[in-house]
Amino acid sequence: MNDLSDNALMLKVKSGDLDKLGLLYERHKKRLFGFFYNMGNNPSVSEDLVQNVFVRMLKYKSSYTGEGLFVAWMFRMARNVNHDHHNKVAKEKISLNVSSGELGNAAEDDLNDDIEKEGNSVLLRKALAKLPDEKRELLIMSKYKGLKFKELADIIGCTEGAAKVRVHRALKDLRSIFLELEIS
Amino acid sequence: MDKETFKILAMDYLSGDMSEQDKVHFEELLSKNVSYQKEYQELLDTWSKVEGLDAPEPSSRMDENFFGMLTEAMDAKSRKSFWHMLQETVFSILKPRLAYGVVLIGIGLGVGYFLSPSNSSIPSQEVVETDNETEEIRQRLVLTLLEQPSANQRLQGVSEANKITSVDSIVVKALLQTLNSDPNVNVRLAAIESLTNYLDDPLVRQGLVQSIVHQESPILQVTLANLMVALQEKASIEPFRELLKEKELDTTVKKKIENSIESII
Repeated sequence: MNDLSDNALMLKVKSGDLDKLGLLYERHKKRLFGFFYNMGNNPSVSEDLVQNVFVRMLKYKSSYTGEGLFVAWMFRMARNVNHDHHNKVAKEKISLNVSSGELGNAAEDDLNDDIEKEGNSVLLRKALAKLPDEKRELLIMSKYKGLKFKELADIIGCTEGAAKVRVHRALKDLRSIFLELEIS
Repeated sequence: MDKETFKILAMDYLSGDMSEQDKVHFEELLSKNVSYQKEYQELLDTWSKVEGLDAPEPSSRMDENFFGMLTEAMDAKSRKSFWHMLQETVFSILKPRLAYGVVLIGIGLGVGYFLSPSNSSIPSQEVVETDNETEEIRQRLVLTLLEQPSANQRLQGVSEANKITSVDSIVVKALLQTLNSDPNVNVRLAAIESLTNYLDDPLVRQGLVQSIVHQESPILQVTLANLMVALQEKASIEPFRELLKEKELDTTVKKKIENSIESII
């Protein structure tokens, strides 16, 4: 059973057994896609960014030590991929970032028909888009069950207590923005 | 309870990362404090919204791209390992030769080092001796040149004397003689300039003072007067006074010497 843990699989990839990366991909592709999508990227860009994360895993496999959770290592890479992508886009002065309107459309396709729920979801995405990047990624990562605050702290480089306080602050900020949007 | 502790506990409770006992304590805290209760409720509300965030299913294109990339990486690895094997084979054949080569170079360097004439004190001694010889030759050259009939050559002799680091008394005497008796004013001037290099030598100072009365050229008289003022040489006062007695003395020079005597006194 241990042989099939994320850490064990990644160590096998490191030692040259590259096809084990396929198993890791199957396990985490949805989670990573959700991360990029909720970070404000459109579905097509999100798919490319997922691919980039796995390309980086292959490239930097030798730096993987097996210490700590694999998902923490993976999300650290995902954050970097997302930052690099947005920096590149900013440089090219072409905003591939999905605007609030687009976010609404993207969400619209996949939400059920309940109008109120749909409205709330659109508002929430708008509110998220207004949050600073660090706070947004913190909230999105904290929603994944596999990641505890300890791992979250490891990813963002702070203490566990500080990570909890930061998530708390991000939630409060999100609520304020959400309420403002609701009133306007 | 301070705010920070409450925030940490609230996050633990929200995420379900809390022991049963701590949960009970936290629930008690909430029931007793309305503001905490309100704050927690707001947090829970936003947290639930974030938890409810969903994303569409990724398309099959993502899988195709990923597995395409993975297959390519695996192919590249197998090609790379072929080259790696080839390199290893070639290297294993050449390795002993390379080692022999390195050893031979090492032996060559060692033998070369021990067989080379490495007594470093000899060259420095030689250099010192050569320097001394050069000085001697130069002193002889100075003496010879100073006796030449051509003023140019005598000037050259004086300039050669300037190159000598430590002159002996013979050269000093030759220079003083030049200063006193050379028919050419320029040679005499050059001799003064050369002698100023050895002012620490009492023989030189004495010679310069004595030469004052022998000078007829105004420029030489003025130069010596300036030099004596610079040296504050009291012994020069008497020769200057003698010089002042001469009727043919240029009036400018006379004034200069008078001023000089005053400065020295």
